[in-house]
Amino acid sequence: MLTIVRPTSEGMSMSENSASFVAQRRAYLTLILISLFCLMPFFWVVLAAFDPKASQFLQIPAGITVDHFWNLLANESGVRWVLNSVGIVGTATLLCLVLAGFGGYALSRTQAWWKRPLLYAIILVRIVPPPALIVPVYKVMLFLNEWVNGLINSLTSDVEQQMMLSRMFSFVDGYLGLILIQCAMQLPLAIWIMKTFFDAIPKDYEEAAALDGASQWQTVRHVLIPLALPGFAAAGLFAFINAWGDFLMPLMFTSSPELQTLPLGMFRAFLRVDAIDYGFLTALAVIYTLPAVIAFAFARKFLTQTFSGGVKG
Amino acid sequence: MIKLTFEARRQLGYRLMMAPALLLMAAFIVFPAFYAFSLSLTDDALLGFAAQESSFVGLRNFERLFGDPLFWNSLKVTLIFVIGSAVIGQFLLGFASALMLQRPVKYKGIFNAIICLPNAVPEMVVGFLWISMFASGEYGTLNRLVAWFGVEPQQWLYTFPLLSIIIVNTWRGIAFSMILLTSGLASIPKDIYEAARVDGATDNQIFWRITVPMMMPTIFLYMFISTVTTFAIFGLVYTLSRGGPANSTEILGIYIYNQSFTAFQLGYGASVAVVSLVVSMLLGMVYVKALKVEV
Repeated sequence: MLTIVRPTSEGMSMSENSASFVAQRRAYLTLILISLFCLMPFFWVVLAAFDPKASQFLQIPAGITVDHFWNLLANESGVRWVLNSVGIVGTATLLCLVLAGFGGYALSRTQAWWKRPLLYAIILVRIVPPPALIVPVYKVMLFLNEWVNGLINSLTSDVEQQMMLSRMFSFVDGYLGLILIQCAMQLPLAIWIMKTFFDAIPKDYEEAAALDGASQWQTVRHVLIPLALPGFAAAGLFAFINAWGDFLMPLMFTSSPELQTLPLGMFRAFLRVDAIDYGFLTALAVIYTLPAVIAFAFARKFLTQTFSGGVKG
Repeated sequence: MIKLTFEARRQLGYRLMMAPALLLMAAFIVFPAFYAFSLSLTDDALLGFAAQESSFVGLRNFERLFGDPLFWNSLKVTLIFVIGSAVIGQFLLGFASALMLQRPVKYKGIFNAIICLPNAVPEMVVGFLWISMFASGEYGTLNRLVAWFGVEPQQWLYTFPLLSIIIVNTWRGIAFSMILLTSGLASIPKDIYEAARVDGATDNQIFWRITVPMMMPTIFLYMFISTVTTFAIFGLVYTLSRGGPANSTEILGIYIYNQSFTAFQLGYGASVAVVSLVVSMLLGMVYVKALKVEV
């Protein structure tokens, strides 16, 4: 038996070896070509950000400098864009986590009649294309804006205070509006993620804690939140990445320079074709991209878990 | 008796916990989606007489819409964009990457990270990077690349606008297709492959008779998700071309924006939005039905 099998298997492994050598080479070639395609556009932005003579074109840097990054700190609008983006997206993400935490938990634990319809509705809401909402959302925001500003004007007659409050709480061209709409757009996915993570936590744990005399709040604080931490991480990362990269909502609802966030500020700076400071913009692009890349690196392992919700994060 | 009130209290608690999130989604997504339908029946505008007092015009917006060559152009551009980038570009390159990374290659982590990188970049930066890639003149990066093959410098965004945005979106989406298809490949039982090899099947036969049929559910899921997300793209194309030149990259999202906020016709813009909403909701319902999504 052995003597019959041996030669054939050796002969096969010979041809298999050369075949797998070709296949192996083909695999490397494919991967290298695709990787080059993926990397190509980054060479320019990374080189130009450190190039004292940055231009629109990919070129060998005239030297290496970090001046562009230092200049960002001195540049009032650059600093403001970064702070606005961090503030608005950060608050929206936190709010989204709190609401999705409660919502996801309720949706996971309830057996009420509204559970199933609501889950289907969330899938459908996820699919609504944001550009299709711009006209009605604009109307809703205008309506809320008038209401809030009416309230502000009735609260104080001091014009400066009115201006300040209006900047904070306006729905159009104010922080509150942008935060709420960014949060709302990320909620469906975040709720879905939280619901799946809470589903995986057995109800027994809560009941055991309750039997041991833990109060509702203690159960949440010491049992549920620690167990759902990976869920919060996943939901928060996706909400952050999506809101951080969003271009449409800032475009719709910010106009004054003080409120400008990174995507819109950079876009408008880039439109002034006659006076583009490529060093400044590429350095800013690097700063703008880094948090998203870092968040994505952490979020990547959760990506497949969000598929059941139907739509990617 | 006590148990019942406890249960009732708990049910009330669930509703209260659900309420804030529902309120926010209702105010900014669900209500606006329905409101789009009623706005599409008016002559609402940002400027002029209709801005003060819009009136009901019935289906006039839709009559105009279906006779508007720009709308049909936008629909055609959207279709080509979705098929070119999501169905063909991202899928083929993502599937190729997933298949090659299944093999025993070195530096898997590095290849993986590089392919994922474009997906992490904010839309605005994507536009920024590719405007430099597509820059015209002999110093443009792409022009220098094609010069090796003897091609004259091109004005990519003017000569091949639609192809250009398809390339950019393909670039951005390879990662997603690779990750999803990799998880599909990993779920195919290994012993099927071994059995096929013992029976003397060639690589080609194994790919077409085992891998592809076994991957069908994953491929279907990928096609659905990528179609829906590509359909909803706005910022990526807007930062690159703003729909131009001459409407050649005016996908539906940009057409809605341009009609509503550049031409100031909110009612007409809303009627385009209604078409876009109906299309995506139909896709969504097909998906929920076909996959019997577990909830």
